[in-house]
This record gives sequence, structure tokens and C-alpha cells, in this order.
Amino acid sequence: MNDLDYVELYARKIEKDNSLFKQQRKLIESQFKGSSSLFRNMFSKDFKSGARRYLKERGLL
Amino acid sequence: MGAGYQLEGEVIIINRDLTELDLFVKDFLTVLNRHSDYLIVSGFVSISTGRTRGTEDVDVLVPIMDENKFRALFDDLQKNNFWCYQGDSIKEVYPYIQNLQNIRFAKANEMFPNMEFIPINKTKKAKFFEFNHPQKIKVQDFEFKIPPIEFEILYKEIILGSKKDLADAKHLRTFFAKIITEENFQKYKPIIENE
Repeated sequence: MNDLDYVELYARKIEKDNSLFKQQRKLIESQFKGSSSLFRNMFSKDFKSGARRYLKERGLL
Repeated sequence: MGAGYQLEGEVIIINRDLTELDLFVKDFLTVLNRHSDYLIVSGFVSISTGRTRGTEDVDVLVPIMDENKFRALFDDLQKNNFWCYQGDSIKEVYPYIQNLQNIRFAKANEMFPNMEFIPINKTKKAKFFEFNHPQKIKVQDFEFKIPPIEFEILYKEIILGSKKDLADAKHLRTFFAKIITEENFQKYKPIIENE
């Protein structure tokens, strides 16, 4: 089974069974909390300046 | 256990609880709505309808606006705890809007998720078309506007085309199989191919 087969299978299941949204919510909120904690710690003194410097260094700004 | 979604009139109702990502988008759209119309596009359309993947940004199309109108929006966003990656003043940020370049907003002291604010005008034909043909979608009390599902699928398959986009398109094709129509695919395909 490749990635697209898995996406299709999951979409079929979640269309019939909305209890699967609970798993999806866990994944989304886990990423949300992980990212928040990481960048708050990285740029704790002056968040915006640190964040902009980080983004520029990576060509994202 | 119940169905993942149903149609109520013309609104797609997604049968799930709100996530923190939804609440972030809802906060932004509450402010944006006071100043402008909008359309949510791309990854959040798939994620809000059950695609299980993370995302760092949520794309929102917004018609280009004059400097005074943008200033009011920008000030309102700042008052509501959003910061802009591109700068803290209109002088720094408005040139991006004038040049139809994207800007990003996140919550204070957060980097991700962010709202990718995509200014559009009539020259962006496909984006302008989808903006003018919104589909309403609702999760609990959070109602927002997305492109027609068939349009979103084709845009991901034809224009974007990355592995992630093709997986998003596959998700939408499967999840919404009962309501998407071949007629709409045929209608939207030439608009997207001419982008």
C-alpha cells in the first residue's frame, strides 16, 4: 500500500465514521504545541527580532 | 459514530470538534471579516475536512485594498494579538500588498501556524474566479469560505502538483465523492489550465 492508497483508505473511513476526527485532532494539536514551545524557547528575549532573523537566514523572508 | 459530513442547504457541515488550528484561523478571520471578504484555500481546506497532516501556514486570498483600508485591517490585527513577519508598520508592509506579494501573520510570540495573506486582483484569473465562487463550510460554530471542492482538487492536481498536494487532492476526491460532480470538473478545468 503506498501513501496515496493510505490517504484514500483513511478518507473513506473518516467519511463514514467521524470518531476518527479525534485522532486527527491529536496530531494537529501535538504539532501546534511542539512548534509553540520550540520557538518560544529559541527567541524568548525579543521574539519578533529573533523570528525575523531566523526566517531571513532560511530565505523565508 | 456518525457521518464525517453532510450538506445543509448549500453549506457543508463537518461533524467534528474544533481544533486549536481552527481557533487560530477563526480568530484571524473574525478580524479580517470586519475589513474585507476572503477565501481560505489549499492545505487548510483538506485538513479541515479530515486530512491527517500537519501544516505551518493557512492560505487566505484577499482582494487588493488601498492603503487606508489596509491600515485599518493591519491595526486591528495588531490590536488582536497578531504580528506580521514582514514588518510592524504600514510603510514596511503595504508595498508587499501593492506588488501582490504574500505576507504572513502569526499570533504574538508564535511563529507557526501563520496566515499567509495572498493579495489578488483580476489579473490572477483562477484565484479571482474561485474567490467569486465560494463554498461555505462549517465546523461547530465556525463557518468559513473555501473554493468549490472540484476547483480545489484540480488546482492541487494541475497547478501545485507536489506529493503533498496530490495527497490532499486524493483526500478531497474520496471524502467528498458523494457531492462532487464531473460537470463541475469540466467547468473548472479550462479556468485552471489557463492560469
